[in-house]
Amino acid sequence: MEFLTEFKDKLYETFIVDNRWKELTNGLKTTLLITFLAVLMGMVLGFLVAIIRSTHDKTGKLKFLNVISKVYLTVIRGTPVVVQLLVFYFVIFATVDINKILVAVIAFGLNSGAYVAEIVRSGIMSIDNGQFEAGASLGLSYPKIMMYIILPQAFKNVLPSLANECIVLLKETSVAGYIAIQDLTKGGDIIRSATYEAFLPLIAVALIYLVMVMILTSLVTKLERRLGKNDRN
Amino acid sequence: MIEIKNLCKSFDNGELTVLNGITETIEKGEKVVIIGPSGSGKSTFLRCINLMGRPTSGEIFINGTDILSASEKEVNLLRQRVGMVFQHFNLFPHLTIRENITLAPVKLKLMTKEEADKRAGELLIKVGLSDKADSYPAQLSGGQKQRIAIARALAMNPEVILFDEPTSALDPEMVGEVLQLMKELADDGMTMIVVTHEMGFAKEVASRVMFMADGVIVEQAPPEEFFRNPKSDRLKEFLSKVL
Repeated sequence: MEFLTEFKDKLYETFIVDNRWKELTNGLKTTLLITFLAVLMGMVLGFLVAIIRSTHDKTGKLKFLNVISKVYLTVIRGTPVVVQLLVFYFVIFATVDINKILVAVIAFGLNSGAYVAEIVRSGIMSIDNGQFEAGASLGLSYPKIMMYIILPQAFKNVLPSLANECIVLLKETSVAGYIAIQDLTKGGDIIRSATYEAFLPLIAVALIYLVMVMILTSLVTKLERRLGKNDRN
Repeated sequence: MIEIKNLCKSFDNGELTVLNGITETIEKGEKVVIIGPSGSGKSTFLRCINLMGRPTSGEIFINGTDILSASEKEVNLLRQRVGMVFQHFNLFPHLTIRENITLAPVKLKLMTKEEADKRAGELLIKVGLSDKADSYPAQLSGGQKQRIAIARALAMNPEVILFDEPTSALDPEMVGEVLQLMKELADDGMTMIVVTHEMGFAKEVASRVMFMADGVIVEQAPPEEFFRNPKSDRLKEFLSKVL
């Protein structure tokens, strides 16, 4: 019984006093906002780069854009995301008056874009060349073949990997605290430094991440099942 | 209608020559069947006609247009007039049968969605698969898939259809239904160029049979003469093996 009372006190101390739970809810909002916008940016960028790269591989066109894409992929995938975030904040946008959250969105979006690009490109390349040929034989142009024949199939094939990338990104935003953004992780840390009690706030943060990831996973499973309907035999 | 002059194609910077100077004219309404041992270049030849593969040198004229110097846009327009049926069907697995047939006419703005759906309905009756309009390709047998692939090509109202070994990937009991449909097309007057191993089809449907070997057309004749009275030793040997 004594243990329970103590636990209750600690819960009260950690989350209720001074409305400390607000650190977590506000932090969660920030985390979700950054993740959502960065995922959007990463998807758009990733699809563009993937299309540029595979168009170059298949037709030999877009040489210049392909070189730029390759440099982008090499740099982003060759350096840690925290370093990228710091460079964006303290170097590239150092002299610009810009919202920190926007900096984080740009940094995480650019980072995610590189991984999305490679995922989508592998999806495009995995589609049988006969699909291209069938489209071409009907007189469809390359962009139309991409749009209506290749990408819908590629997207379905890479959906699990893309979803995984979203989940990774959600968790990666936890380093946003490096540029003093009060995201979910930072929120937990603020409580920890106020109460000198690490267990409860950090476990709470971990649980919130876990629940969000589980929700995302179940959404993707549902989506996959819907997209899988034409694979029935 | 199709005029081919001195067509050559090689791979690996000339190390492997697949087509070695083919000159040929194909008129409207002809049913040309191309036979020959594997590796003879017959599929490569067929695929050059709609530029699925680009020849190394030579000239191809379709209705007087030099397609090798045509722009990409012109090539796409040309391909609308030249249908193709593939060995492995290449249906679009993410689309229903109806959508497979209507995709190109609708996206190329040749028909409205309603017109294309109506046309798809007619074509499905023609190929005997009206009940499959809302199925997906994975739910069809090989023979059914190939019949849909033919319907998809027909939806573009092509002037000529190229068949690249259309029955080679089928189970034996499904070959007949596809050949029957092709025969009906031939009877309707469609210009057809068919690469196949089906000698019966060649005998019955072809207006002209071509024998290819080592990248050249060795011999060609109307089917009766072709099969009854082969001239070259190469063809005699080939026929003795396949008949």
